[in-house]
Parts: sequence; C-alpha cells; structure tokens
Amino acid sequence: MILLVEDNPDDEALTLRALKKNNILNEVVVARDGVEALDFLFGEGGHAGRDLALMPEVVLLDINLPRINGLEVLEKIRANERTRLLPVVILTTSNEERDKLRSYTLGANSFVRKPVDFLQFSEAIRQLGLYWLVLNQSPPLVKV
Amino acid sequence: MGAESRSSVSPPGRRYWKIAVVVLGVTFVVAAGLYHLARLYVLNEAERNIQAVLLVHKGTHRYIQEVMHPVFYKLRAEGLAADTFYAPEIFSSSFIVRNQHKAYNEERKAAGLEEIYYKMAAFNPRNSVNKADALEEKLIRMFNENKEVKDYREIVRIGDKDYLFVALPFLVNQERCMKCHGNREDAPLGLQALYPGLGGFNEKAGEIRAIESIRAPLEEQYFLLYIVFASSFAGLLALAGLLFFNARLRGMVRTRTHELEQEVAERRRAEEEVRQTNEELENRVEERTARIAAANKELDSFAYSVSHDLRAPLRGIDGFSLALLEDYGAQLDDTAKGYLGRVRAGCLRMGELIDDMLQLSRLSRGEIHRQEVDLSGMAEEIAEELRRGAPARRVAFEITPGIRVFGDAILLRAVLDNLLGNAWKFTAKTEEARITFGREEESGKDLLFVRDNGAGFDMAYADKLFGAFQRLHSFQEFAGTGIGLATVQRIIHRHGGAIRAEGEVGQGATFYFSV
Ligand code: HEC
Repeated sequence: MILLVEDNPDDEALTLRALKKNNILNEVVVARDGVEALDFLFGEGGHAGRDLALMPEVVLLDINLPRINGLEVLEKIRANERTRLLPVVILTTSNEERDKLRSYTLGANSFVRKPVDFLQFSEAIRQLGLYWLVLNQSPPLVKV
Repeated sequence: MGAESRSSVSPPGRRYWKIAVVVLGVTFVVAAGLYHLARLYVLNEAERNIQAVLLVHKGTHRYIQEVMHPVFYKLRAEGLAADTFYAPEIFSSSFIVRNQHKAYNEERKAAGLEEIYYKMAAFNPRNSVNKADALEEKLIRMFNENKEVKDYREIVRIGDKDYLFVALPFLVNQERCMKCHGNREDAPLGLQALYPGLGGFNEKAGEIRAIESIRAPLEEQYFLLYIVFASSFAGLLALAGLLFFNARLRGMVRTRTHELEQEVAERRRAEEEVRQTNEELENRVEERTARIAAANKELDSFAYSVSHDLRAPLRGIDGFSLALLEDYGAQLDDTAKGYLGRVRAGCLRMGELIDDMLQLSRLSRGEIHRQEVDLSGMAEEIAEELRRGAPARRVAFEITPGIRVFGDAILLRAVLDNLLGNAWKFTAKTEEARITFGREEESGKDLLFVRDNGAGFDMAYADKLFGAFQRLHSFQEFAGTGIGLATVQRIIHRHGGAIRAEGEVGQGATFYFSV
C-alpha cells in the first residue's frame, strides 16, 4: 500500500498515472491534507477503527498542504512509536534548500523535487517505486 | 576664526602700551629714590673721609698740648730750657697740624688723589695763612652765636668741580690757651718775638676763635655714585624689561591658551556633531537594514510561493499534455500532436524562467561568505560537466590554471556557470569552437575574462546585455531566459567588482570581470 498525501488534484492524478505507467500496482490511499494523513496512519477521525496492522510501504508526502503541512506530518510520523520507521518520501515542488534540509533533519528517507517535465517526474516515480517497493525491505510492523 | 577670537579677548597692543607706561613710570620713581639714596650714601662716605682726617688732626693737637707742652714747661721750670725759648715748629699744634696736613696732601698727590683743602681758619689769626675768608668768618660768628651747632656742611662748586665743604668749631678758648693767646705781655718772650703784631692775642676765654675748614672733592664719590646708580638703574631697567616681557609672555600665553581652549571647544563641538550625525546615520542604516530585511523576507516568501504556485499548474499542463499524447496519441493527427509538443515546450521554458528568477533573487540576497576560491578548478569542473552534457560537441577549452580569488564559492560558481554556459551555448553553431578562461592585466589591475569565438553580439547593445530578461538572440537561435547575465552582474557587484562585455556579431564575445 502507498499513502499519497497530496492536495492538488492535478498532481494526484498525474502521480497516480505515473505509478500505473510504471507498473506500480500497489493500492494507493490518498489523503488530501495533513490531518487526513495522520488520521489514516493513527486510525483516528474518519479512519477510526481502521486495522492498524495494515501500514503503507511508503508515504509520498507533499510539503505544501492545507491545515497541517507535510513537514509537521513527518515530524508526527517520526514521533510516533508505530510509524517511526515508515519510509517517507517528500515529494514537493519546492527546490528550497531549507525545505530539503528540514526534511532530512526530520527523518525523510528521500526528497524528490517534482519537475515541470512530466517525463522526468515519471522517471523519478519509477525509481522511487523500484527502490522503496521492490528493493527495500519493509520495516517490521511494530505492535503497540 | 583666530583673529576674531583674539579681538574678543582684549586688544593686546593697547594693553602692552599700558603695561609699558606703568613699568616705565615705576622704574623712574624707583630710580629717583635710588638716586637719592645713592647720593646720601656718597655724601656720607665723603663726610666720613673728612671726619677721619679731622680725627687725626685732633689727635695730633691733643698729643702736642697734652704730652709735649707739659714736658716743655717742666724742662723750663727745671732750667733746662731758656725762659725765652719758643719755636712753633715744636710748640704750636696748629702750626704742626697745618704742616702735617701739607705733607699729607703731598702724599695724596703722589698717590694720584686730589688734595683735601684744610685750614684752621681764624678771625684773628696769629699766622696770616690762617686768615678766614668771608664764608669762614661768617661761620665763626655763627658758631659763637649758636654754641649748640656742632658743624656746618655744604656742597660747593669751585671751577667745574663739586666739593663737600665741612666746617667745625675749634676748641673753645680756655684759661690755658690764654698763656699764648691772652695779653701779648704774658706770652712767652720767644713767642712775642716771633709774632710781632697783635694777631692771635687778646682772645677771650669761652669764645671760639677759629673753625676747622675742610673741603673734600666729590669727584671720586660722584664717580662712585654714577656707578652705583647706573648699575642699579641698569639692573632695575633689566628687571622692568623682564617684568614687561613676563607680562607680555603671560599675555601671549593667556591669549594662546584662550585660543586653544576655543579650538578645543570647537573641536568638541565638531566631534559632537560628527557623533550625532553618525548616530543619525546609524539609526537610518539600522532602519533601512530592518526595512531591507523585511523586504527580503517578503521577497523570500514571495519567491517561495512563486516557485510552488507557478510550477504546480505548469506541471499539470505538461503532465496532462503528455497524458493526452501517450494515452490518446492514436486519435490525434500530427498537427494536434505538434500543438501539444509546443504546449509542453512552453511549460518547460516557463519552468526554466521561474527557476532562473528564483536563482537571481536567491543569489542577490543572503550573505557573502568570503573564502579563497580556485576559479580555475571550478572552470575545469564546469567545462567537464558541459562536455558530458553534450558529448557530440567539439569545443576547445583553454583554462589558465591557478586563478584564485577571495569570494563566495557558491556565488562565484554561479558566475562561471553562467559565463561558461553562455559561451558554450553561443558557440553551438561555431566550427572549431574555443572557450577561454584567463587573466589579463589592465592599468595595474587583474581582470578575469571568459572569451568565446561564438555568435558574439552587437556592441550597440552591450549595455542591455546585463538587464534581466534582456536577450540579444531569438529563442529559436539560442534558447535562454535572459536572466543569467543579470545574475552574474549582481553577484560581481555584490563582491565589489565590475563586469563588462566586448564582442562583435559573428566574432565571439569576451566578458571581463573583477572580483
Ligand atoms: C705755648 C703757646 C700757646 C698756647 C698755650 C696756645 N697757643 Fe694757640 N698758637 C700759638 C702760636 C705760636 C700760634 C701760631 C702758629 C702759627 O700758625 O704760626 C698759635 C695758633 C693758634 C691758632 C691758629 C690761628 C692763628 O692765630 O694763627 C688757634 C685757633 C689757636 N692757636 C688756638 C689755641 C687754643 C684754643 C689754645 C688753648 C687750648 C691755644 N691756642 C694754646 C701758641 C700757643
């Protein structure tokens, strides 16, 4: 399962298309803002009662999000015992050094800048999928 | 300013006149006093000399009368001398003293001294040499009338010389004198024989019959007076001069001190002004810095949102255009596909523009971290990257090794990136393309340059080269956003350097810059 946290429907559609194009057929759960993403991960709010044994293999996290932004989401993910080891890839339009620095400081596993050129973006998604979903061993599920 | 402040104290010329007049006045009063004192002293000295002579005379008189006469009378009483024997040479004290004084004067003359006039001046002299002159007669009468007057003195002028004249009453006639000065018949026979007239006889006891008249020259004393006075006056003048100069000096010192004080005050005031101006400037700078910082921050967040918000829709346009091409390509004819290609190219170009704009804004803000930068090494790296990006191209790079400057490595990298990137771009259509990075000396200064033999440019537009979004070539000819050189210029300026370009259409371009 992949958790895509993205508020821009265009980017969402394009990301989903890129995943499909690259034969990444995992289920994709989409959260439209930071709160929704955290609700899903911790089984709260609209996702209350969700089976928390099912955790995404990777979280694709945009930084510019309504309500709670991506970096705060990342911070909360790393602060929680259950999600501490979740692979998180920051996907963002920003090319600001400080965003990159902060992402890695907060424990992002990758930082991918969404290029304007969709072909490049698609290629990035392909490599991400290859690494995080195929090559990388998922972290052990943490029972709480 | 100096003259002004001087006159505001007091007019020194007039003041010194006043001081001079006062000093001179005091000097002359003191000099007059001094002269008077010196005169008294000199007269006193002369008098003492006379007194000394008279004392000697008196002693002689006394010796003759008190020692010699008794011996003589005893000899006569014992019959050893004849009753009639008398000789003034050995009996008369006045005779002896007169001649003794004569001898004394001769000795004085021999010693180069002026004679001291001496006379036993009598009214009724036995010996005519003792005859009193008019003044002496008058004085004898005066002394007889005023017995308490013991002396008389006067400065008399004889010829062209001054003398101190002193007259003293001689012994008052006593009984014992009457033996020789009383009745002629009572006097010793020898004496009677020697002095035939009545001169010296018929004197009465209790009367003063003669004065000792004596005149000492004052020339010597005057000489002394002049010396004493002249030297003391000279000393006084010197002292007055010193006092005057002291006053002048003090005045000068006072004036100068006052001037200095004013200067110091002036300087303090100036310093205070400078300090205030500095403070104001500092405040203004602080204010401006704060404003700039605020503006920078705003610009920062603006740039940030631009990078996000402008790029996101672009990505959508590009992505969906590609999706159309890929997913519905079969349903589209070539024109439609061409249009979509143009849409995508536009998106990419706009993306580049946004990126360059962001770089321009980012590089022109922020602090400069100066360090030694190996520009030659940097240029080699960039050349390598460019070659790798287009392996098919044949471009000769000539990079002078060892060019090191002091500057911000990241910013200078952007400069070389842009300049070498431009050179690379504009030599794309040049055969045997050559790009040079080197150093030249121009009027004593080191100038760095990047030269190519590419498309070049028209010097008429040289000044437009560095404006943002200024392009001298059509996009079809050479792609680019027109921001690179603006960025380069801004970085160079921020390093305190300068940049200019030289070129000719078709002959390549050279960018000279200093850091
Ligand atoms: C022993 C005699 C003798 C006795 C005593 C004597 N005298 Fe004379 N006196 C003379 C003779 C002689 C002369 C003149 C000498 C000469 O200048 O030639 C003379 C001269 C003088 C003269 C000078 C004026 C002049 O007449 O020429 C005076 C003044 C004088 N006697 C005063 C006295 C007085 C005063 C006494 C007493 C204290 C005195 N004598 C006692 C003998 C005497």
